[in-house]
Amino acid sequence: MTPFRSDELPGRLFIVEGIDGSGKSTQLDLLHKWLVSRGYLVVFSEWNSSPIVKGTTKRGKKRHLLSPVSFSLIHAADFANRIHAQILPALQAGAIVLADRYAYTAFARDAVRGVSRPWLHKLYSYAVRPTVAFYYDVPLDEAINRISEGRPTFKYYEAGMDLGLSDDPEESFRLYQALIQKEYEQMIDEFALVRMDATEPLVVQQRKMRDIVKPFLEGVKRADAGGVNEALREAGLKGRYLDEAARKKDVQA
Amino acid sequence: MTAVRFFGEPPPTIVGDQLPGRLIVVEGTDGVGRSTYIALLKEWLEDRGVAVLDTGLTRSELAGPGIKRAKQGHTLDPFTLNLFYATDFWDRLERQIVPALRAGMVALADRYIFSLIARAAVRGVPLEWMENLYGFALVPDKVIYLDVDVEHLLPRVIGSTGFDYWESGQDFLRGPDVYHTFVEYQTRLLFEFRYLASRHQFGVIDARGSIPEVFRSIRFEIEPVIASMGADGVEPPRGRTNARPRGRVTT
Repeated sequence: MTPFRSDELPGRLFIVEGIDGSGKSTQLDLLHKWLVSRGYLVVFSEWNSSPIVKGTTKRGKKRHLLSPVSFSLIHAADFANRIHAQILPALQAGAIVLADRYAYTAFARDAVRGVSRPWLHKLYSYAVRPTVAFYYDVPLDEAINRISEGRPTFKYYEAGMDLGLSDDPEESFRLYQALIQKEYEQMIDEFALVRMDATEPLVVQQRKMRDIVKPFLEGVKRADAGGVNEALREAGLKGRYLDEAARKKDVQA
Repeated sequence: MTAVRFFGEPPPTIVGDQLPGRLIVVEGTDGVGRSTYIALLKEWLEDRGVAVLDTGLTRSELAGPGIKRAKQGHTLDPFTLNLFYATDFWDRLERQIVPALRAGMVALADRYIFSLIARAAVRGVPLEWMENLYGFALVPDKVIYLDVDVEHLLPRVIGSTGFDYWESGQDFLRGPDVYHTFVEYQTRLLFEFRYLASRHQFGVIDARGSIPEVFRSIRFEIEPVIASMGADGVEPPRGRTNARPRGRVTT
């Protein structure tokens, strides 16, 4: 069962999980564009992106200060901030929230570092239960092949060097990812993750993802994007200055 | 600290079940005089040949600077703030306090998990969540709680730092002015502290007394803890003390 709060919120939350190189971000990005083009109000939330916390996470990684528990806590802080400042308000307003990685990433990474699972589940109990949680399942070798192209070196924590599995970053990365994959596999049933075959062609994967998402879109709020085009058509205008107006808005924000 | 005990499940990286040092915590609300007594206590311990590590909230290398930056913005929800503090706490526990205890020192902590739990409780964070979070904390050898009432607290705060945004609960309380939110916030906070004091058997000290009086009481509470380390020249303090292990300040 999910350890998360299960209050009924008007929005929808779709999240993707999987080891590095599973292609989950690509699929979520495609889903994002599709939802936006269909006029939905979409908010995108990325792992380690809290403006308040991420500086500390970076500091810890750079100086190798993170032990299993502080690694866990600082990521929980980042996540808590995104939940309360970004994800929860958007869901309350009826938007669609897409999250690239969710609490399950923490469950997997922290458990591999020896942190207690029940402790973690309680730690993240303030999180919202996702509408659908996708797990992109890929064989380890395939994922590593995808990643090694164009990525010469692994960073310390990315390779799980703090676990002391191997002195060789590449070997350490492989062993670390294998442990994480095992954790994910245990979570599929426990938390009802939807397993996606990440070895299929991208187009097929995306079609399947959309098929799963579609039934949940009924009654979801759409952004009011058609208004400007309608006004242009009605008045016979080209919208010469609209780009400029959008730019100004960006600057103000 | 002979046997290592935790409030909850033991964390993965603190190994071994014996630490020869002692962990002494000084708790109490904002402006009660903790730093004065810690300064006196540190000197007193060192004079007796006890090596002291002193530590306090937000002094970790990892999260200290981040918390200070974040609190300037005033935009934190209580969960994020608590996890930030927990990161800071853990980093100090693992990299300052435990090594000191292992080396046979006294670790003197200005505030511990109790201040964090009390603050979170008044902001509506479930106690159960906080207690799970801080399950990894070492059970101290002694917690000195400096108890005070708002009436006696007010002149000290006005006379020193003035009303701080967080210490008057302005992040979640609305009132006609800072004075009223301060009184309201500190009243609630003291209630939580006293609850924790009875629950965790703090050495409660009436901090309304004069500095010599209060310091005498603190020494009286701490001496048994130090004596068992075989420290030099520890003898019971002379004179009356106002240590009241089960006592409460009433107004």
